[in-house]
Amino acid sequence: MSSSATATPVANPLVPVVGKVIKIVQETPDVKTFHVTTDQGKPFVPMPGQLGMLSIAPVGEAMFSVTSQGPDHLEFAIKKTGILTDALHEIEPGQAVAVRGPYGNGFPVDFCKGKDILFIGGGIGLAPVRSLINYCVANRQDFGNLQIIYGARSSADLCFKEDLFENWPQVPNCRVDVTIDRAEEGWNGNVGFVPAFLEKLNPSPEGKVAVTCGPPIMIKFVLAALAKMGYVPEQIITTLELRMKCGIGKCGRCNIGSCYVCLDGPVFTLAQLNTMPNEY
Amino acid sequence: MQTIQKSRVPDLLAALAKDATVFVPAKDNGVSSFVPWVPGVELALGEGNTTLSPKGVTFPQTEKMYCYKAPGTELSIEEVPADSTRRVVFGIRPCDVKGFYLMDQLFLTRGYEDTFYKTKRDNSVLISLGCIQAMPTCFCEAFGINPGKAEGADVLMYDLGDFYGFEAVTAKGEGVLALAGGLFSTAGGNPPAAAANSLQVDVEGITPKLQKMFEHPLWAEICRTCLNCGTCTYVCPTCHCFDINSANRGQEGYKYRCWDSCMFSDYTLMAGGHQPRPTKKERVRNRFLHKLQYYPERFGDFGCVGCGRCLAKCPVTIDITRLIRQFKEVALDVQ
Repeated sequence: MSSSATATPVANPLVPVVGKVIKIVQETPDVKTFHVTTDQGKPFVPMPGQLGMLSIAPVGEAMFSVTSQGPDHLEFAIKKTGILTDALHEIEPGQAVAVRGPYGNGFPVDFCKGKDILFIGGGIGLAPVRSLINYCVANRQDFGNLQIIYGARSSADLCFKEDLFENWPQVPNCRVDVTIDRAEEGWNGNVGFVPAFLEKLNPSPEGKVAVTCGPPIMIKFVLAALAKMGYVPEQIITTLELRMKCGIGKCGRCNIGSCYVCLDGPVFTLAQLNTMPNEY
Repeated sequence: MQTIQKSRVPDLLAALAKDATVFVPAKDNGVSSFVPWVPGVELALGEGNTTLSPKGVTFPQTEKMYCYKAPGTELSIEEVPADSTRRVVFGIRPCDVKGFYLMDQLFLTRGYEDTFYKTKRDNSVLISLGCIQAMPTCFCEAFGINPGKAEGADVLMYDLGDFYGFEAVTAKGEGVLALAGGLFSTAGGNPPAAAANSLQVDVEGITPKLQKMFEHPLWAEICRTCLNCGTCTYVCPTCHCFDINSANRGQEGYKYRCWDSCMFSDYTLMAGGHQPRPTKKERVRNRFLHKLQYYPERFGDFGCVGCGRCLAKCPVTIDITRLIRQFKEVALDVQ
């Protein structure tokens, strides 16, 4: 009997591969960016806005946006906020981790092509948005003008300072506006919350896509500000996070109505969110 | 139809068990469930559906996913060999057969196949027993299920008084019956009349109605007595939510998944404290909308099979059929 037609076994989507943290960047007092690779190179190749499940096996596993990627590694920017993230903040380069993905839909890059993009981020919410910013920078000719509006509680809490103050401002037709919540010595930039700063800058909605992520309260007021400035729900995009375990639409918990954020999201237009139950 | 005397069922099960693990309904301490048959197990075939659903045959309550060793900063991962044991589910009721179909939609479609589920499901044969007597909590007909004859089973089995009758529907079913060929007589015989449901509910129009009632005050009333105990989700043949966790022994251990419940606050609680479903109102609403709105929206079919387990076992008598009637009775203002 011939057995030559044996199919290649399909990998189990719930079993991770072994990765290694090769670099850790301290972004803020409570945010670090982890560069993760594997013996075979990049663990997987995500599109901007897609997610990866990262774990320290004995501690736990959680879903994070892939904030950026290099030729041989993925980057996860992670705020210290729970059991797993506390453990991650304790590790040193060289630590083995488990990783699986990519999950989720990612940002609609084709829809964004040819348009001006307005990025509005707050705190760690810049992490997922950064994956799209870097994609636009890497494929600069495909996109119109870029404008990045970003804020954090204090200057120390600004993530990705090198991108904000050195890399992105040098990109052709890319403007970066940064604000912090309260005045502090040595800060010459804007002071105030992101939604108010956005209204002050008043970027025109014409030919534009607005991409926002941040704390829920910031998103709420940013959406109100965008509506006031004439943006329609179809041109506003955000990315959500909910508790996830499987990442493949089976374990149940990340549903908003009949959508699973891990599978159908995490990226939604405001037009889509308006048709979904307000439960996230 | 192939028939066998009821007294010879153990011989039939012994023949099937040579080739497979045969899950049969049996009672232990007043709780019936599907357990691997061994000689001497007393079958609970005549008592309607089991206390616990048979979903554990393909979706065990706890299941090892992979092993790891994590000495120091190192890590190695070893997959658990797929459990491809052949399984026969003997005496499963039509409502629970539909439960398997709905689980198939969830675990095997929409982007990803769940390997753990698929391996067991592909190796499972369902021998379904038609119902000739309804329990007081049965309402499968509301969801278009024929209690006398299970669509989707591999073998249809009928209670013919002193005999059981068998009809293979699929090739898998034929293969299983062939294993016990010598035990059967061939007789004419007609399938007995199906038992009509004792509990009637009309689900026509409930999904579009609920789509308009997410914020309705009725949810606050319905959830009032709920204890968030999770019993309804554990006995349900279509509730599929699971948690993933670690069992550590020193520097090694394994990851497992286990049944979880949307009734529990931890289910959606996020690191940092964000809680999208902060009270039992949101949790109860999610469970019923999942069955009656979200499942139809996603899979084109209700996520309930009318088995009646949740209303039979709920400690505060929350009853999905009553809930459906209540929601249907509400007059909505024309917007």
